[in-house]
Amino acid sequence: MASTLTAPPDTAVARAEQATKVYGSGETAVRAIDDVTVEFPTGRFTAVMGPSGSGKSTLMHVIAGLDSLTSGQVYIGDVELGSLSDKELTLLRRDRVGFVFQSYNVIPTLTALENITLPSALAGRKPDRAWLDGVIDTVGLRDRLSHRPAELSGGQQQRVAVARALATRPQIVFADEPTGNLDSRAGVEILEFMRGAVDELGQTIVMVTHDPGAASYADSVVFLADGRVTDRMVAPTQQSVLDRIRASEK
Amino acid sequence: MLNLSLKGLWAHKRRLIGTFLAVFLGVAFLSGTLVLGDTLRGNFDDLFTEANADTDVVVRHASTLSTDPGEPDIQRGLIDASLVNRVRDVEGVAAAEPSVEGYGQLVGKNGDKLGGNGPPTLAGNWIDNRDVNPYRLVEGRAPRADNEIVINRGAAYDGSLRVGDTTTVQTPDPVSVKIVGIATFGSADGLGQTTFTAFTLDSAQQHLLHRTDQVGSISVKAQPGVSQDELLKRVQRVLPADVEAITGAKLTNENTSDINQEFLDLFTTLLTVFAGVALLVATFSIYNTFSIIVAQRTRESALLRAIGAGRGQILASVVIEALLVGVVASAVGLFGGLGIAGLLKGMFDAFGFSLPAGGLVFKTSVVVISMIVGVVVTLVAGVAPAIKASRVPPLAAIRDVAVERTRASARRAVTGVALTALGVVVVLGAVFSGGNSVLGFAGLGALLTIAGVVVFGPVVARPASSVIGSPLRWLRGATGSLARQNAMRNPRRTSGTAAALMVGVGVVTLFTIFAASLKSAIDDSVTKSFTGDLVVSTGRFGGGGVSPQLARDIGQLPEVQTATGLGRGRAVVGTATENVTIVDPAQLGDVLDLDADAGSVKTLGPQEIAASKAIADDEGWKRGTKVPVTFSDGTTSEFTVGAIYKSRDITGNYILSRAAWAPHSVQDIDSTVLIRLDNGVPVETGRHAVQRTADGYGAPDVEDRDQYAASLGQFVDMMLGIVYVLLALAILIALMGIANTLSLSVYERIRELGLLRAVGETRRQLRSMIRWESVIVAVFGTVGGLGVGLFLGWALVKAASEGTGDMIAPSFSAPVGQLVVVLVVGAIAGVLAGIRPARRAAKLPVLRAIASE
Repeated sequence: MASTLTAPPDTAVARAEQATKVYGSGETAVRAIDDVTVEFPTGRFTAVMGPSGSGKSTLMHVIAGLDSLTSGQVYIGDVELGSLSDKELTLLRRDRVGFVFQSYNVIPTLTALENITLPSALAGRKPDRAWLDGVIDTVGLRDRLSHRPAELSGGQQQRVAVARALATRPQIVFADEPTGNLDSRAGVEILEFMRGAVDELGQTIVMVTHDPGAASYADSVVFLADGRVTDRMVAPTQQSVLDRIRASEK
Repeated sequence: MLNLSLKGLWAHKRRLIGTFLAVFLGVAFLSGTLVLGDTLRGNFDDLFTEANADTDVVVRHASTLSTDPGEPDIQRGLIDASLVNRVRDVEGVAAAEPSVEGYGQLVGKNGDKLGGNGPPTLAGNWIDNRDVNPYRLVEGRAPRADNEIVINRGAAYDGSLRVGDTTTVQTPDPVSVKIVGIATFGSADGLGQTTFTAFTLDSAQQHLLHRTDQVGSISVKAQPGVSQDELLKRVQRVLPADVEAITGAKLTNENTSDINQEFLDLFTTLLTVFAGVALLVATFSIYNTFSIIVAQRTRESALLRAIGAGRGQILASVVIEALLVGVVASAVGLFGGLGIAGLLKGMFDAFGFSLPAGGLVFKTSVVVISMIVGVVVTLVAGVAPAIKASRVPPLAAIRDVAVERTRASARRAVTGVALTALGVVVVLGAVFSGGNSVLGFAGLGALLTIAGVVVFGPVVARPASSVIGSPLRWLRGATGSLARQNAMRNPRRTSGTAAALMVGVGVVTLFTIFAASLKSAIDDSVTKSFTGDLVVSTGRFGGGGVSPQLARDIGQLPEVQTATGLGRGRAVVGTATENVTIVDPAQLGDVLDLDADAGSVKTLGPQEIAASKAIADDEGWKRGTKVPVTFSDGTTSEFTVGAIYKSRDITGNYILSRAAWAPHSVQDIDSTVLIRLDNGVPVETGRHAVQRTADGYGAPDVEDRDQYAASLGQFVDMMLGIVYVLLALAILIALMGIANTLSLSVYERIRELGLLRAVGETRRQLRSMIRWESVIVAVFGTVGGLGVGLFLGWALVKAASEGTGDMIAPSFSAPVGQLVVVLVVGAIAGVLAGIRPARRAAKLPVLRAIASE
C-alpha cells in the first residue's frame, strides 16, 4: 500500500511514484525502497529521516539521478529520469540539481571559488556573477575564495559545498547528512545557510539526516522505515521529531 | 608474513599487472638479445665448420692483410698453379684441388643483382672431388664448358633462376653464362646468405684472376690415418717461403674469430646497450608502481604496526612480494626472450642484413643472467619505496592525513642540480679535452646527467606540468584545468612516471641527432667536394662493384666530359691494414675537389700515396715523408706522401693511383664512377645516355648529385631504422608505466571522480580529463628527454668528429622537423597510455565512488 502524504502535485519539484529499488537478486535481494510515492514541494526545505538501512539515502540517490530504479518512476520537474541516458542524467544533475554530501565534498586540487563554480565550468558557462556573489556572501566565504581545501576547516569545506550546490540556481538541492562530520557549531551554521537559502532565495532543498536537531530546520519531515514512507510531519521541532521516533520504536 | 604477502599480491593483482609486464618486457629483451648473440655465434660456427669440414689442410698465400668481413677474401695473394701437383705428390695426401675465389655478382631473372647487404657475392671454380668441396649438386651437372656455371640453391630461388637459364655474372666485367647445375651447401641452400657461382677452373682463372698460371688456394684431403697436424707438417715441407698451409680446424677458428671481432661483437654490444636502456626504463616503471602501491597501503601497514608488527616484518612482506613478481616475471620473460630473438632476427633480415639461418641457441648462462638481473632489478625498485614508507610513524599514517606530498625537498633540488652539473661538466670536459677515452668519459657524464635530471625531476614537475597544461585551460575548459591540476598535484609521481619516458626519448633523440649530423656532413661533403653531375653507384653497404671498363665506356659518350672510377682496396700502410681508394689522378680533379692542403692528387705518381690531413696530422706526415706500403700479393715498397687533402668524406683517408695499385691486384673493381657532363648537356639527357651504357654492366644506379648524397646517407637511415625499432620497446615499457600509474591514481581518486560525476561531469569529460593528464605527463617526459638527448647528441657528435676513423665526421645538426615529430609522437603516446585508465575510470558507477567509505 502506497503512502501518499502531501502538497498539491503541481507545485512539486521532485517526486517519486511507486518507486522500488532492489539490490541483488534471488535469496539475497534487498528492497532498499519499496513502492515509495513521495513529493518534494517547491521552495520548501524537506528532511528525510529514518534509521540506518531505512532506504533514505537510496531514495535520495534515485530521485537525484545517481541511481536507477528497479520499478516505478521519479521526476525532476516534469522530466522522468528513467527515460534518460547516462549523459542526459549527468547534464540534468549539472544544470538542475545541487548536491551536498556528508564528506569528501570538494575537489582537493581546486580552490574554493573553483569548487563553487565547478558545475558551470564543466558546462562551459560563465556563472551568474550577481547570484554567485550573493551565495558567497550568504555562506561567508568571501575571504577564503583562493584557498585550497587543505587550507580550510571541515565546516568551511561544507560551506564551499553548499555554495557550489546553490551556485547554479538548481531546481532542487539534495543534501546527504551534510552535518554528519561536523562539530555542532559548524553544523548549525550549515543548517542556517540552508534555511536561509530556502527563505531568502526560494530554493528547494531535500536533506537526508538522522539528527532530529537538523530535521527541525526543515519545513517538513518525511519518515522512512524498511524502505517505506511511514509518516510525514509539518513544521517539526527537535522535540516533536524525537517524540515521533520514540513512538515508532515502541 | 608470507601468507600476508600472498594475500596482498592477490588483492592487488590488477595493479601488479603493469609491474609484471615491465619486468617481463625488460627481461625478455635482455634474454632475447643474449640469445640472438649466442645464436648468431653458433650459426656462424656451424657454417664455417661445415664449410671446412672435409678439408684437412689449406695451402694459401702467406699474406698478412687482415680481411674485411662482407668482402670476399680477394685481398690475399695468389699462389703458383704448379704447387697443386707438388702438394698432390706429398705422401698421405688423398686429394689436393686448386681453388679460385673472387667477386662475382650474379644477376637474377629480372635483371636485379642477387644477394643482400653484408654477405659476400662469390664466384669460384667447381671442384668435382666431393672430399674437398662442401657444395653438393642437387640438380643438373657440373660445368664443363667455358661460361657454364653451377649456382647455389638460395641464389637460384632468389633470382628465379633454373637449370638451362642464361644470365650474367659480373666479375666485375659482365660475363654471359648458362646455368647447368644447382648446388646446396651441405644440406643448406647456401653458405648463409652468400651467393656462389662456380665456373670451370679455367673460366674461373680467366674471369677472376685474368691469368691461368695461378690459383687462390689449394684444398687438401688427407688419406685415412693421417692426422691434420701430420699432413700439415708434410705439406709445409714442399712449400716456398711466401706460401703457407693451415689445418681445416684452424681455418674455421680464423673465420669465426674474424666474424666475431669485426661484426658480432659490435652487434651484440649494441643490442646489450638497448637491453640496458629497456631495463633502466623498466626499473623506473617498477619503482613507480611499487611506490604507489606502498603509499596506498600505508594505512594498512600502519594498522599492522599498531597491532604489533615490526618494521622488518612490514618490509619483509614487500620483499616477498617483489621477489615473487621478479621471479615469475623474469622466468616468463626468459621465454619471451626466445620470441624476441626470433623477431629481432627477422627484423634484421627485413632491414637488409642477411644473417645465417639455424635454430636458436639457448645457453644456461642466459638463464642465469636474465633471472639474476630481472629479480635484482625488481627487488631494488620494489623495496626502496617500502623502506621509505616504513619510516612513517604508525599513528601519522592511521590518521587521515594526505599521503600525497606536494612539495619537493630543497635537498633534492640541490642534489639534482649538483649531479646534473657534474654530469654536464664531465661530458664537456671529455668532449673538449679529446683523447682516446672521450667516449668513456662522455658516457659516464651522460649517466650522471641522466641521474641528475631524474633526481631533479620532482622539483620541476609541478611548474613544468603547469606550463604544459596551461593551454588546456582555454582549449578544454574545466576538464583541461582539472587535468592540469591532477598532473601538478603529486610532482614526485608525475616525475617518476615521466622519467621512464624521458630516458627512452632521450636515447631516441640522441640517435636522431647523431644520424642527422652524419647525413648533414655527407650532404656538405657532396656539395663541397663533388663537382661533377652524375654518379654511378653500386650500393654503399657490403660492397658491390662494376668493371673499370664502365668508366672508360662512359667517358666515350659524346655527352660526357669526364668519367672516372673510384676503386677500393686494402693495403698495409705503415703498420696497419687500411682501406685505400684507387683513383685516376689526372681525371679526379675534374669531378672531385679534395681541398688540398699540400701537393696535388692530380700529379700523384705510381710511387706516391695521398693521405687525409687528419691522418697526416696524427702520424706527423708531411709531403715527402716515406711510408712503406704492403700489398695483398705480399710485395712491400716504399711510397712517398705526394699530397695531403682535407676533404676525406668520399675517398677516405688514403688514396693510391691506379698505376700504383694495378700491378698488385687480382680483380680490379670500381665501387663508384664519378661523371662530369659536357658543358650545356642537361642532366636528364646525360643520365639517359649513362644509364644506357650502365645497363650493360648489370644496371647499377645512375644518380644525380642529390640522389648521390641521399644514397651515401642511406646506411645511416638503415641503422636509424633498426635503432628506432629497438627503442620502440623501451618507449612501450615507459608508456605502460604511465598507464599503470594513471590506473593506480584513478583508483586512489575514486571518490573524487564520483563527486565530479555527481556534480555534472559527463563520462566523456572524465575520460578526456584523464587522457589530458596522461598527455601532460608524457609531454613532460618527452620534453625532458629531448633536452637531455639534444645535449648528449651534441656531445657525441662533437666527440665523434674529433676521431680519425674511416667514418664520415658528423657535423652537428638538430633536425627540427624530426624532433617535433618525436614531441608529437610523445604526446600521442600519452593519449594512448591514457585510454585504458580513462575508460576504467569512466565506467565507475557514480554511487560506488561516492558511497565508498
